[in-house]
Amino acid sequence: MSATLPLITIEKVTKRFPGVLALSDVSFEILPGELHAIVGENGAGKTTLMKILAGVITDCEGRLLLRGEPVRFTGTRDAEAHGIGIIHQELNLVDELSAAANIFLGREKHNWLGLLDDRAMERAAAQMFIELECNISPSQLVRELRVGDQQLVEIAKALSLETDILIMDEPTSALTESEVARLFRVMDRLRQRGVTILYISHKMDEVFRLADQITVLRDGKKVRTLRRAETTPREVTHLMVGREIEAVNLAAERKPTEVVLEVQNLSLPWTGHARGWRLQNVSFQLRRGEILGIAGLMGAGRTELLECLFGANLELPHGRVLLEGKEVRFRHPAEARRAGIALVTEDRKRLGLFAHMTVRENITMCTLDQAATGGLIRYRRERGLAEDVIKRLSVKTAGTEPSVTSLSGGNQQKAIIGRWLLTKPRVLLLDDPTRGVDVGAKAELYRLMDQLCRDGLGIIVTSSELPELLTVCDRILVLCEGRLTGEFSRKEATEQRIMEAATMRGG
Amino acid sequence: MSEPAIGTEPMGTESTGLPLQQTLRRLFRRTEFGLLLAIVVVIVLTALLDSGHNYWDHPAVSAINILRQTAFLGVFSLGAAVVIIAGGIDLSSGSVIAFSGSACAILLTLLAPEEMKESKNLSAGVITVAVLGTLVIGMLIGSFHAWLITVIGLPPFVATLATLVGLRSLGRVLVESVSKTVWRSAKTQIDISDPTFRSLTTHVWIPVAIFLVLAAAVWLLMSKTVIGRRLHAMGGNEQAARLSGINTDSLKWLAYCISAVLASVAGILYVSDTTTANPQNLGRGYELNAIAAAVVGGCSLQGGVGTITGTVLGVLFLRTVIDGVAKIIKTNAEIYEGLIVGGVVVVAVALTQLRLARTQNKRFLPGALGWVTILNLAILAGAGVMVMSPTTSMAPTVLGAVVAGAVFVLLIVARYAEDRREKIKA
Repeated sequence: MSATLPLITIEKVTKRFPGVLALSDVSFEILPGELHAIVGENGAGKTTLMKILAGVITDCEGRLLLRGEPVRFTGTRDAEAHGIGIIHQELNLVDELSAAANIFLGREKHNWLGLLDDRAMERAAAQMFIELECNISPSQLVRELRVGDQQLVEIAKALSLETDILIMDEPTSALTESEVARLFRVMDRLRQRGVTILYISHKMDEVFRLADQITVLRDGKKVRTLRRAETTPREVTHLMVGREIEAVNLAAERKPTEVVLEVQNLSLPWTGHARGWRLQNVSFQLRRGEILGIAGLMGAGRTELLECLFGANLELPHGRVLLEGKEVRFRHPAEARRAGIALVTEDRKRLGLFAHMTVRENITMCTLDQAATGGLIRYRRERGLAEDVIKRLSVKTAGTEPSVTSLSGGNQQKAIIGRWLLTKPRVLLLDDPTRGVDVGAKAELYRLMDQLCRDGLGIIVTSSELPELLTVCDRILVLCEGRLTGEFSRKEATEQRIMEAATMRGG
Repeated sequence: MSEPAIGTEPMGTESTGLPLQQTLRRLFRRTEFGLLLAIVVVIVLTALLDSGHNYWDHPAVSAINILRQTAFLGVFSLGAAVVIIAGGIDLSSGSVIAFSGSACAILLTLLAPEEMKESKNLSAGVITVAVLGTLVIGMLIGSFHAWLITVIGLPPFVATLATLVGLRSLGRVLVESVSKTVWRSAKTQIDISDPTFRSLTTHVWIPVAIFLVLAAAVWLLMSKTVIGRRLHAMGGNEQAARLSGINTDSLKWLAYCISAVLASVAGILYVSDTTTANPQNLGRGYELNAIAAAVVGGCSLQGGVGTITGTVLGVLFLRTVIDGVAKIIKTNAEIYEGLIVGGVVVVAVALTQLRLARTQNKRFLPGALGWVTILNLAILAGAGVMVMSPTTSMAPTVLGAVVAGAVFVLLIVARYAEDRREKIKA
């Protein structure tokens, strides 16, 4: 194809995790000095592939060639030694250390006595922050920084390695527009120095602004590598999704009825933080048979809002919450559950799943009392409950008894939603329910939400992906730094308008 | 060589083979089965190696001895298992044993000072009240742990470490002040010679029966009830349990109460058995034996995983090993007890790790730590052989040195094999 020798060659890379085939037979090449975008939906395998390139994941099938030489990294340090650095999507920072200490974590500068040289590290960090055009104090603890600033620290950390290959895994997910613009200027400077950048994103505008080449992944397989000049956002989106985005009018004939949940001036204090509030004066209504979306950048307070409604916060929120007209004040999730509110958490592995238990035990966790007499569990009844859920939500599993970790992400999510449906809730809170779920299962989850909504449930859903909210919601609220900065009906909502509201600062 | 990838299809690996094969395979994989097998092996080995032929000549005496010891250790190991499965740790049980044993003696003294002073017989009513009072004290200790952990927010390790240190000393203070008022002289221990109280343990079947009843009750709780399921859930993922509307605070309260009450039961039994309540020495270090038994029985210190049957077998296994070594060594066997418990725990847990690691091509003697470990294991093996070898044959020191050298060479070979495997893979 090209005369230049590829810098990185990925050959037939396959990676399995328990229950999922994350990458299947992926091959492509990256040329020196180019900005190669890797796009795909959540769960397409982008992050897994990058973790392999950066030595985070060390065992996979297939080969990696660096400048024509086969390599197999033993760890991130090894990959760095080969000149590959990565900016992770999730923040990998130590909260209790300063920004400078985080940047030099593992490669601390020290003086001739072997003692840490904080001064030198802070000087170097300050230099880096100037380059990034941001005013973070190097000695400030990471815990005290805004999420956007934390992401900039993460970026500075990767830049300080001065590697000639830089992997950026959705670096803009917590940044405001002006910060994104600054980051792009930094990337331009890096490219002038000859750094090769692998840029992972699912945001078409970013990709088409930056990339020379675009590789599309879908369900762990490479779909195609395209030159930017020879393609259009429409074509790339089409390749990513694999079909026209279906069911655009999922919400078409839904008719929300009476108000089931009303929130008045909800505020959640944030002790020990400059902002003071995680949420500030949030008010809205939710109707039966309505899907209400909540949009916002990382750290905008989406999760906190849902947790407040569910009584899961350790600090009590201020303001009023009315459930079917009656004021409620939950101090524990158990109270919220009894009142008819259900929360499917964002971080499935950490907050939702009981990984050491079976599918049955996971499904019946909230409603075991229904299957018990005098505290003793009746297994047949319990199994019946689990089987009902499996059938109703068509969870793909070999029965009720396999370990829940043997299911794919989407089916785990269905099992957890099923767990909550058994509690017969009136309000269902879904916190980024399609995270880490493959495309096919996503569509199924959308249909499920639509169905539940038609059955009279009020649903609040958050998502980090705007197209998803635009697909399923009747109404979308936008949060920015804990405040409501926009409300759009289905007709009014566009990605452009929501992004503007989500990055509104100050005031 | 490579195992089939786990769970690429939801069926997993258990779907292959005939039903009988499946059942057998599942059975073999269980910790309980492995332990049962290990217990039989230890008994057979002891029977063969013991030059006194105790197991052949006096099977009943030997069995009773092991069962008795199992019952004593088992009672509070059940509590350790419950707390560990619930995702916590209870380091205090040894001190709770000492404190509750002393408390029982103090209650008896306060309820019937004259009889205690003159070593006369106590009435059944007094004993019942004292025993029940002791159990209530156990509950109070457990509640205190729960308060420290759930309200004050101390890590379980710290909370129970505090009572581990504090309760023993408090017990001593109380025994001294009570004995000062009753006997007019400060004593460090209270002797109980009452035959009714002693009869709790003079018949071997009473502690064994108490243990079996308690084990059955805890087993029922942990594996058949809603509460047991929730304890498992909390142990495996506390956050998720809370967000499922499970009241984790009251579950912790229950778990620490069970542990402390069972330790109190053990405290009463120990005092009855030794006829004396000495808060200074009673149950010293027993908390670690209980944790060891639970871990050998398959409980994971990460929480959520473990069974009561496994724990009971873990206790039985520990006691048979200790008994076996005592039978083989004969003199001064009790000084080996700690070594045995430590060794058994490491081997039992290492075996499960090994099973996991085999599929991952893990190295066991990597780098510089590997060399030090080779030296370590060789010295350990040599020393072990040296102290255990019969003095009649070769000089023990020489034998020990030979074994140490052999192990050293063997491990170096093993290390080179690992190196080669790694190279072939790369």
